[in-house]
Amino acid sequence: MSLQLQRRARGARAFAAVGVTLALVLGACGIGPGDGGSPAATNSGGDPVGGGEPAGVLNFTNWPLYIDQDDDGSSPTIQDFEEETGIDVTYSEAIQDNSSFFGTIQPQLQAGQDTGHDIIVVTDWMIGNMIALGYLEPIDVDRDIPNFAANAADKYKERSYDPGNQYSVPYQSGITGIGYNPALVDEEITSLSQLFDPEFIQKYCGQIGMFSEMRDVISLALLYNGVTPEEATIEDVEAAQEVLLEQAECVRGYYGNEYADDLANGSLAITMAWSGDIFQLQFDNPDLQFVVPDEGGILWTDNMAIPKGAAHPNDALAMMNYLYEPEVAAQVAEWVNYITPVPGAQDVIRENAEAAEAEGDTETAEYLRAVAESPLVFPTDDMLSRLHSYKVLDEDEERRWAELFQEVVSG
Amino acid sequence: MLGWLRRHSGVVPYLFLLPGGLWLIAFFVVPLITTASVALQEGSLATGYRLTFNFGIFPEAVGRWDTQLLRSLQYGLIVTVLAMLIGYPMAYTIAFRGGRYKNILLLLVILPFFTSFIIRTISWKFILADQGFVLGTLKEIGLLDQGFRLLATPVAVISGITYNFLPFVVLPLYVALERIDPRLIEAATDLYASRLQAFLRVTLPLSISGVFAASLLSFIPAVGDYLNAELLGSRNETMIGNVIQRLFLVNRDYPEAAALSLILMAGILVSIFFYIRLLRGQELTV
Repeated sequence: MSLQLQRRARGARAFAAVGVTLALVLGACGIGPGDGGSPAATNSGGDPVGGGEPAGVLNFTNWPLYIDQDDDGSSPTIQDFEEETGIDVTYSEAIQDNSSFFGTIQPQLQAGQDTGHDIIVVTDWMIGNMIALGYLEPIDVDRDIPNFAANAADKYKERSYDPGNQYSVPYQSGITGIGYNPALVDEEITSLSQLFDPEFIQKYCGQIGMFSEMRDVISLALLYNGVTPEEATIEDVEAAQEVLLEQAECVRGYYGNEYADDLANGSLAITMAWSGDIFQLQFDNPDLQFVVPDEGGILWTDNMAIPKGAAHPNDALAMMNYLYEPEVAAQVAEWVNYITPVPGAQDVIRENAEAAEAEGDTETAEYLRAVAESPLVFPTDDMLSRLHSYKVLDEDEERRWAELFQEVVSG
Repeated sequence: MLGWLRRHSGVVPYLFLLPGGLWLIAFFVVPLITTASVALQEGSLATGYRLTFNFGIFPEAVGRWDTQLLRSLQYGLIVTVLAMLIGYPMAYTIAFRGGRYKNILLLLVILPFFTSFIIRTISWKFILADQGFVLGTLKEIGLLDQGFRLLATPVAVISGITYNFLPFVVLPLYVALERIDPRLIEAATDLYASRLQAFLRVTLPLSISGVFAASLLSFIPAVGDYLNAELLGSRNETMIGNVIQRLFLVNRDYPEAAALSLILMAGILVSIFFYIRLLRGQELTV
């Protein structure tokens, strides 16, 4: 066997021919703006899906730690739904962060294929983007999700990213703030300066966690700089990037939902966090804390939607309707500790607490009372006044933000 | 059919190459051309992409991501050298001293492949966690400083890649060493070569084709790897694979991601070219 490099003289004519062919081929394979019609055409028309019989199969794709779980790791809510409807549910926790998940399903959506997901749960701004691209099936909330009209809080019926509830219904809302492990942190954490100030975090260098969600990270840095996130200009975001770059040397990682593992296993001391996750981690490590910083936090809403071309839309709508029953919403809220869109769940949780008390299970009763009165699960006006939303970005802003953010996460 | 083949026996080798050739065209040439095409387009998901022959993207991408490109080449080099230092003695021992345990030892080298690469790398994350049972215990008994960590450091990333690609180094080295006739080494010692001289002038030159194959099999995947940096590293260990992955899947900046992929390929080809030049002095034949 000889591995000697052999140089072969090649005719200039052959070379030119290759060049021309290459140019032609290059031109032929482009990326179209969503085959199967332009986005504008897709989302203006189109009859809502649903109104039919369930197929008996449902692929429900959600984020980790986002539904109730018994000791075996299965979800009573899903099991009850399966028993009640006979629909076989495959529940997967495949979503770690909005953009990465969208990146994985985007090629199928663009090609007009079934993504294999019947329900996806994505954050408000992503719903807006996906509607604009024609990637979501229109739904008829009044016909197929009567529980939404009956039980959802009024503010959830008017959402700027999905006016008229034509494509989605809320799953849970939550707050982006700070989580920390008091075993590793000497002081009480109350302020964003304890996440961003280069001098302060020196002590916890390498144990600071941040998110890979661009909007969450930039919004917190804007709040630290005293800027209202919803009104941030590009200059404000550039200043926020400075803060993030200064902080970056001490950041252990820019995480998706898996930050929870590193917080739980002691690799992170102070981290950005989503409100409900910390409560669930407290089952294993009761010391972990979540705080809405003095400067404010971010309130967001994750929504259920049916991706274009999904195989089982009727089953998906049945699940959405089911999750809007107050008893079911309460069961989920008791476990996930996010903000439920069903205010009636609060009374159900209080009743469950009474029932537990009557059975002599004071521990459960105390826990349930704490959930029912928690401002992080049923936010008070005072809490709401401290929370902000994401800025709505146009395409140019989104690109510029992404560029600035990419520089932060890739050292 | 058979008669025709007999008359045109020159065609047979090409027929044998056909399945492999078609495979390469479908899964290498076509994607490569598509990547080149995407790199030269401009636009966005909402408005669609147009081919504008925007060659400026290449210098732009190199300028923006030079740190990560250089870091990847550097990590790839360190990994290759480390894997060679660990793998050569391993392969040597198995080939010359393995005796009847040869097959078992080879099986042990391949054994990690029975578990997924991702699962194995994630396990390292748990084993080496700051407060995990290794570091946690050492910190507890005061052997390590509280702030000490292995994860999220270059050491973790480079060790992770070396660990993952070590079998790719051991196997080709073993094949090359196994084929050496031990009588050649005996002859060298009979001619008054010391054991070191015999190794340097007989064994090593005869195994150089294995060294070549092994170093390519570790260097190329190591430079393009992103999983180890993603799971075991932090921002400061970001490799070019991570940048490409984020550009493709998170930012959906397809042209820049495609351009960077091509630049990475070019970088690897150039490195290999110099490597071949370096080895050319040696006899690359077996």
